[in-house]
Amino acid sequence: MVTLTRLARVLLRRKFLCRHVATYKVKPALSFSNEVQNTFKFADLSVHLASPEQLQQKPEVTALQFGKHFTDHMLKILYHESLGGWQRPEILPFENIVLHPAAKVLHYATELFEGMKAYRGVDGKIRIFRPEKNMERMNQSALRAGLPTFDGENFIKCLCQLLSIEQEWVPHSESSSLYIRPTLIGIDPSLGVAQCASALLYTILCPVGSYFSGTGEAAVSLLADPRFTRSWPGGCGDKKMGSNYAPTIHVQQEALGQGLQQVLWLYSDDHLITEVGTMNIFMFCINDSGERELITPPLDGLILPGITRASILELSREWNEFRVSERSIPMSEVVHLLSENRLLELFGAGTACVVSPVASISYRGETLHIPTERHKYPIYAKFRQTLTDIQYGRVSHPWAVPIDT
Amino acid sequence: MAQNFVQGSIVKLQRIAITGMKRNKPLALSSMKFCNYSSSAQQGSEEAKVAGTVKSVFISQSNDIFTNLALEDWLYRNFDFTNHHILLLWQNSPAVVIGRHQNPWLEANTAVLSEHGIEIARRNSGGGTVYHDRGNLNLTFFTPREHYSRKNNLQLICRALLREWGLKTEISPREDIVSGNYKQISGTAAKLGRPNAYHHCTLLVDVDKVKLGHALHKHNKGIKTNATQSIPSPVMNLCDLNSHVKMEKLLASIGWEYLRTDPYSAEDKGEDFIGKQRGFQFINPTDQWFPGLEKLRAEFASWGWRFGKSPKFNVTRTFRVPRELLSKDELTDQELSITIDVNKGVVEDVLLTVPPRLAAAKGFSGQAQVVTSLRGQQFSEEAITMLQKALSELESPEQTRNEFVVHCMRTCILALEDEKNN
Repeated sequence: MVTLTRLARVLLRRKFLCRHVATYKVKPALSFSNEVQNTFKFADLSVHLASPEQLQQKPEVTALQFGKHFTDHMLKILYHESLGGWQRPEILPFENIVLHPAAKVLHYATELFEGMKAYRGVDGKIRIFRPEKNMERMNQSALRAGLPTFDGENFIKCLCQLLSIEQEWVPHSESSSLYIRPTLIGIDPSLGVAQCASALLYTILCPVGSYFSGTGEAAVSLLADPRFTRSWPGGCGDKKMGSNYAPTIHVQQEALGQGLQQVLWLYSDDHLITEVGTMNIFMFCINDSGERELITPPLDGLILPGITRASILELSREWNEFRVSERSIPMSEVVHLLSENRLLELFGAGTACVVSPVASISYRGETLHIPTERHKYPIYAKFRQTLTDIQYGRVSHPWAVPIDT
Repeated sequence: MAQNFVQGSIVKLQRIAITGMKRNKPLALSSMKFCNYSSSAQQGSEEAKVAGTVKSVFISQSNDIFTNLALEDWLYRNFDFTNHHILLLWQNSPAVVIGRHQNPWLEANTAVLSEHGIEIARRNSGGGTVYHDRGNLNLTFFTPREHYSRKNNLQLICRALLREWGLKTEISPREDIVSGNYKQISGTAAKLGRPNAYHHCTLLVDVDKVKLGHALHKHNKGIKTNATQSIPSPVMNLCDLNSHVKMEKLLASIGWEYLRTDPYSAEDKGEDFIGKQRGFQFINPTDQWFPGLEKLRAEFASWGWRFGKSPKFNVTRTFRVPRELLSKDELTDQELSITIDVNKGVVEDVLLTVPPRLAAAKGFSGQAQVVTSLRGQQFSEEAITMLQKALSELESPEQTRNEFVVHCMRTCILALEDEKNN
């Protein structure tokens, strides 16, 4: 009888399992332990640069529609429990993903994603905005989705390398950025609602010109229909998972059909306002004590913890010019404040356009006109100016970090 | 407002001055205390900075000579090459490109070119005249001034040709790339400024040599000038040396060779070195991608730059006076001589030496009018139009004499072959 060493047993098991794994270029994990690796490392990153015939022609900046054009490379990191967990990260030419038909993401939406931007600053350098917060959120989503977690800092370093390679996809004009979409999908080739033993973390980039249509500097009109609910207690509305978004498309179509632009998501019989479209919502008003107050719904499980939202709250608290509260806002309060001319501004906050002022809400057959844009020095504009000054490097701030250029 | 939170922020910021940036932008600040994602940020020394230098190969999407010259100029003026060296690859639709201090009328057959839709352009670097078409590859190597090296760049090209096709080429004493039988396959020029510099060269891949010959054919046009004169030399295409050489493959193989070469020692670092670089990128040279590019393009395309920038010159032509303009008893060998002084592309003075009989002949009165109507005009077809107009307004029964003068003038300016003087 042959006595195998522990090492030999591990290698034999790995060799047996390898045959059933998709033919990606993976090198076996360096550690000889059976324990699953809890993260990949930037130091293991390998880069395969695209050759000229694999490159995409760059369109005119005005032709750059959001999400329609992609850059030449992508970042891919595989996870296979059977191979010790996270594999070596790779940057490679942009390519399609091949999936087994039973891949869990296709059946149970075991998927999550992030949205962030890289900005070309006034000094020509590329900066990313508070990426560590996206990493925190991504890992929270991963836990909820039964997908593996990872170390955010290593991911950000790999991302910076990708941005560095792709930075000519950001026009040299001011106010140009690159939209970053990290995505994590469960690719386990087996049916069965269970934890994913195989996953793919990848990141793709979209160039965003300064004039692309859809940023909407103009104020938006909203549909507030209590029949539709985006999130609920105990659900995963506070996680950035794809499964939260598919059901909203139909409702958005309803809004468009009524000549309105976005959906104001209400919850419960109190018609609490939660989010607007895919953004967090803020209300600026004169409260019962006669003081100006900025209010936003709290992170009680119904609300996606937006990074723009967090930044606005932190800035407000630092400025200390008005009261700041995180509490629920029923529609009745909105109506009441409006009737007493104490509702000053309503605006959404998100990565795509920083802030989006609200012009009107269609609620219960009535149109409520919100005076957001009718002030001389609106607070939403101050937030937009401050945040974009940081993002584009007009003002130096630890929130916006230049990547290695 | 902005000051408040900068001062109020917990992390102290340190100023790092960035010198030599041509853009008039705020200084960049960075902090060492918060998470910094740049891998070379921990190293502050000059050597470490140099060690972190990466390379990119930019491929222009445009085939317009003026756009590409503008792109080259834009990068030269605006890019920071301290830690990032760039090779720009570009091809043009048919064009003749003269050096900064050259005279386009001397170097090329200007009338023929405009007939065939071949542009004339003037580049920013010195040197001689070249003919571009889609079979010609242009390479511009951008570095900071202190790391400029023509030799390294040319050696890199030779290595790429050897590696891909086994082609043996050499660098001549004039720093041109020549094939085994000393035919030139590349021409080179450079611009050194502060803080940036570039070396650009051409590579003849599959150029139409017949058109090249016609476009650059110099005629005896009587031009006297201090402008740089091109030294003609026999050329040959790479595809003549090896029929497998194709533009697409050449672009890629020179690019890969550039990426695997160390930016300072010029050693071949092997394939693994490539993964540390930025790789290939298409460049769309428009004003939206590169603000200010349109202005540069307009300058390169302007008559004032292309023709007006020629150093001072004069052109002298003599013309045999047609028999019909002479009276019966005159000798038939009468010549009209014209000398035009041109400065900044504009006619400064005109000297007509008219045979006495022609001058005295009845009806020829245009001498003074010729001079005054041409002075201050651009040395171009427009001047002829002005001249014609001026002469036709004269009361002269002998319009044929005036037409003859106009014809001579036109020949001078447009440097057409004079059939009679052939």
